[in-house]
Amino acid sequence: MADVIRIENLTKSYGKKRGVTDISLTVKEGEIFGFIGPNGAGKSTTIRSMLGFLNFDKGAITILGKDSVKEHVGILKEVGYMPSEALFYPTMKVSEVIKFAADARGLDCREEAEMLCERLQLDTGKRIKELSLGNRKKVSIVCAMQHKPKLFVFDEPSSGLDPLMQSTFFELIKEYVKKGATCFLSTHVLSEVSRYCDRAAIMREGRLIKVDMVDNLTESTAKSVKVTADGMHEEYMYNGDINELVKKLSERKLQNLYIEEPSLEDMFMHFYEGKEEVR
Amino acid sequence: MITVCRHELKLGFKTLLIWSLSVGIMGLLCILMYTSMEGEMADMAESFSKLGAFSDAFGMSTLSIATLGGFFATEVGTVHGLGSAMFAAITAAVILSKEEDGHTGEFLYSLPISRGSAVTGKALSVLINLVAFTVICGVFYVIGFVALGEDVLWKELLLFLVRMLLMNVEIAALALLLSACSQRNRMGMGLGLALIFYAYDVIGRAVPDMKDYLFVGPLSYANASEIFAGKETPVVAFAVAAAVIAVAVAASYRVYLKKDLAS
Repeated sequence: MADVIRIENLTKSYGKKRGVTDISLTVKEGEIFGFIGPNGAGKSTTIRSMLGFLNFDKGAITILGKDSVKEHVGILKEVGYMPSEALFYPTMKVSEVIKFAADARGLDCREEAEMLCERLQLDTGKRIKELSLGNRKKVSIVCAMQHKPKLFVFDEPSSGLDPLMQSTFFELIKEYVKKGATCFLSTHVLSEVSRYCDRAAIMREGRLIKVDMVDNLTESTAKSVKVTADGMHEEYMYNGDINELVKKLSERKLQNLYIEEPSLEDMFMHFYEGKEEVR
Repeated sequence: MITVCRHELKLGFKTLLIWSLSVGIMGLLCILMYTSMEGEMADMAESFSKLGAFSDAFGMSTLSIATLGGFFATEVGTVHGLGSAMFAAITAAVILSKEEDGHTGEFLYSLPISRGSAVTGKALSVLINLVAFTVICGVFYVIGFVALGEDVLWKELLLFLVRMLLMNVEIAALALLLSACSQRNRMGMGLGLALIFYAYDVIGRAVPDMKDYLFVGPLSYANASEIFAGKETPVVAFAVAAAVIAVAVAASYRVYLKKDLAS
């Protein structure tokens, strides 16, 4: 499969402030790729560099085989982007915003936009200033999807959407991906990544610390241990000989014990709290 | 580029109507006041023309306000000059920065529009608004002349409106640069810019030592009293205006194309 996104040694700083350092990753055609990290980890900086909002200091970004700096407009024709803040011109009607986005692409997207508005239950007659965050997110989804792009870039897409709409949103993504699109999903909702993504990358303090299949990220020799002993409750990740663990635990008066496979959340915390880079 | 321009014209239509109708109607009312003041004006005109620096500052030593042309130049010239300069400044001062200030930049610039064509579309919308503003106000002034049953001073009026438009373009070009450099709404600074130019011209005409440097400001070639009195304007004033417009617009492109867009 071809690389839809190829980021090589991306470095971007904001003066003395840290941005991202030496980020390299690839996203394959047809993948749903999760981009995980807490606020300030550098997810948005990476995305904003990909889309040409920021001029990066070092590195190269190729999207759909095009150079992100030289062929910026050509890339945007094939990309549907949903920013984390779904903000539009307050006095415009929803229908006007959707039409403006289609006009800017020189496309007639009415049929697809109508289908999306119906699935997302979006009232196109309202003005942007009358909309809640959730409804503004829906406008953003329609604008990102109506031209049936080859690549979706979503930055915290589900925040503000109710659970029913979140489900509809991910159904839509899966449908477009089935038709050949690729999805780059930046989020800090780990359950979304474990449920929908094929591969994921974990960001920490501006650096990429792990890229792997989501299944591999949770498949580890490490175990999640939850123990109540001697009247005290403890939860920790154990990454050693299981016999040693059992031996140590048998010396205590146990009230309750769970030893299980770590969840993505556990793994994320493990990577995030770890001092060493894990690759 | 056309999509951006059309979008901006649509967003700015209300502002255009409010400003052009306000200035145009104020100008029309000033013109209509002329007949009711015509009798007293003859006596007042002589006194006004002898107020030294004050008369120089407001052009009353150049032209008699007892004539319709003089009255128009003194009264409407001031209203239109200030009103149009403020409109130009506030329109251009927010045209680029509002995308970052209102956090709409990520939506706009995720569409396949290069920043260069966005600047062109936005700058073009400012220019169209300024032309529309001038035409709407001009129509009101012509109505005023016709309502009074006077001959329309076409040559002077057109020259006045064209030069005012040029002045507005010069102020808008500087405000555009301000907008390109900023991530916040700089409407206040834009208004300040227009008022500084007005104050510079008024003070420059009142202070003898500054008269030689009036050409630096955009109001030097757009002074209504001098236009209606048929006074020649030094070519250097137009050269300065052309240079200011060219440099400010080029710098706006350069700054805006290179900057990191705030989220």
